[in-house]
Amino acid sequence: MTQTEARPLENLPDSNPDCAIAVQGVQFAYSTRGVTLDSISFVVQPGERVGLVGANGCGKTTLLLLLCGALAPSAGQIRLGLRPLTPGNFYPEVGFVFQNPDDQLFCACVCEDVAFGVQNLGLTAAQVEERVARAMAQTEVAHLADRPPHHLSGGEKKRVAIAGILAMQPQLMLLDEPTAQLDPRSRRQLIQLLHRLPQAQIIATHDLDLTLELCSRTIILSEGKLVYDGDTASILSEADRLEQYALEAPLSYRRAYCNLDDRPSQG
Amino acid sequence: MRQLGLNTTPCVAVASLVHQWEPRFKLVGLLGLIVAVANVTDRRLIPVILAIAVAMYALARLPLSFWCDRLRYPGFFLMGMVVALPFLTGKTVVWQWGWLSLRTEGLWAALLITSRFITIFTLGLVLLGTTPFLSLVKAMQQLGLPTLLTDMLLLTYRYLQDLAEHLSKLQRSAQLRGVGKQGTIARLQLLAALSGSLLVQSYDRSEDIYRAMRLRGYGHLRRSAAAPISVDVGSAIGLGLSLLTAGGLIAAEWLLNHVQGNA
Repeated sequence: MTQTEARPLENLPDSNPDCAIAVQGVQFAYSTRGVTLDSISFVVQPGERVGLVGANGCGKTTLLLLLCGALAPSAGQIRLGLRPLTPGNFYPEVGFVFQNPDDQLFCACVCEDVAFGVQNLGLTAAQVEERVARAMAQTEVAHLADRPPHHLSGGEKKRVAIAGILAMQPQLMLLDEPTAQLDPRSRRQLIQLLHRLPQAQIIATHDLDLTLELCSRTIILSEGKLVYDGDTASILSEADRLEQYALEAPLSYRRAYCNLDDRPSQG
Repeated sequence: MRQLGLNTTPCVAVASLVHQWEPRFKLVGLLGLIVAVANVTDRRLIPVILAIAVAMYALARLPLSFWCDRLRYPGFFLMGMVVALPFLTGKTVVWQWGWLSLRTEGLWAALLITSRFITIFTLGLVLLGTTPFLSLVKAMQQLGLPTLLTDMLLLTYRYLQDLAEHLSKLQRSAQLRGVGKQGTIARLQLLAALSGSLLVQSYDRSEDIYRAMRLRGYGHLRRSAAAPISVDVGSAIGLGLSLLTAGGLIAAEWLLNHVQGNA
C-alpha cells in the first residue's frame, strides 16, 4: 500500500465484495462527551494486518467496538464485504479480543470458554469439539484445557482469549491492546501467534514496535479523526510527525541502548 | 475470602458414598430432606432430625473441623435469633431471677429452631462439600432451571472471587497511604468510599463482560442443557432412601399433630 494521507470517502472501493471490512464516513459520539470519532473511512482486505495507533482517548477502542457491531455509529456505514453490518447482531466472522482478558474469560474452565462462542453457532457436539481442539492447538493452550481461566498468567489468558475467538473461525480479528501488561516472553509468543494467523487483523496498540513487526499498514487516529492511513515503516520513521499525534518513534528506530561506544570506561 | 475452585469441592475430596452420588440425584434427595426438616414443628422429632444430620455427615466422611469452621458465622446469627426466646416466649416459668424468667415453651422453641437450623445447615454442607460447584450448577440446569439463572449463578460465583480480590487490593492501597490510624467515623467513611468504588467498577466490568458474551453469540442460539440421564443403581437407591426418609418425616409430623389434635 502506498503512503497516503487519510483517504477521502469517494476514493474507497465501495463495490469490493471481497474486502474483510469497509468503513465509510463513520461518526460516533458518546452521550456524555463530544464527537469521539469523525468521518472515519478505510477498507481492510482479507489477510491484511493493520495497526491502529493513537494517543489515549483518541477513539481506538470505540472504533473497534463499532467494527464488531457492539456500538452503533451515529453516521456512516460499515460493511463486511457487501453486507452492511447491523449493530447488535451477532457476527461470528468478526472476532473481538478485549484488552483485559478477564472480561472475556468468564467460564469455569479454559476448554468451556474456548467452546462458548462455537456453541452459539448451532454446530454439532463433534464439530464444536473439533474446532475447540484446533483453536487450542493453534494457540498452544491445549495443556490448560481444565484450568480455571482466572488462575492463568497474563500471557496464557491472552492466548486463551484468542483461542476462543479463533474457534469461531472469523475472517477479521479486532485486537485491543494485545500486548498490554505482558512480559517480554509472552509478548514475543503473542506476536509469533498473530504472525501465523491468516485472518485479517486490526490491532489497536501503543506498542509501535509490534506494529512495525506485524503490520505493513498503519492507521493513526488523533482527536477522533483518521490522520494517516498508509505504510507503517514510512510513518514510524518520521519522529516529528509522530510527535504531533502524541506518539513516539518505536525503539527499533531509536538509538540502540547498548551501543558499544557508550560503554562506560573501565577504571 | 477463601478461594474456591469451580471444579473442586471446598474440602478434601474423599471417596465416600455421598461423594459418588450422582449430582442430580443428590440435589433432589438432599433438598427433599431439607424441605421435610424445615416442615418439622413437633419437638418429639428433634432427635430424629439430628440423627439424620449426624448420619448424613458421617456417610459423607467430611472432617468435623470443616463443619465447625463453616458453622462459626451462621452460629452467631443463630445465637442472635434464639438466645432471647426462652426468656420472652411462653408462660410456664421454670427458673426466675429477679425480673428474668426462663420459660419452658421458649426453651423448646429455641431447641427446635436450633435443631432444624443445624440439620439443614449440615445437609447443605454435605451437598456443597461433596459436589464441585460446577457439577452442582450443571445438575440444576439439567433438572430444568433456566439457563439464564444458572449462568447468573456461575458468573456471580466466578466474579465474587475477583471482587473480593479487588477489594483487598483497594484496602491494601488505602493502608499504604496511612489509613488505619483514624477514628471509627473516618474508617467507616473509607469503607463506604471503597464499597462505592467497587460497586461502580463492578458495574462497568459487568457491562464489558456482557458485551464480550454477546459478541460471542450469547442469546443468539438457545443452548440445550439436556444431557442423557444415566441411572446408576447406587444413586437411585440413595435418592429413594432420602425421599422415603423425607416422606416419613412429613408423615410423622402430620400424624403427631393429628393425634395430638384429636387427643
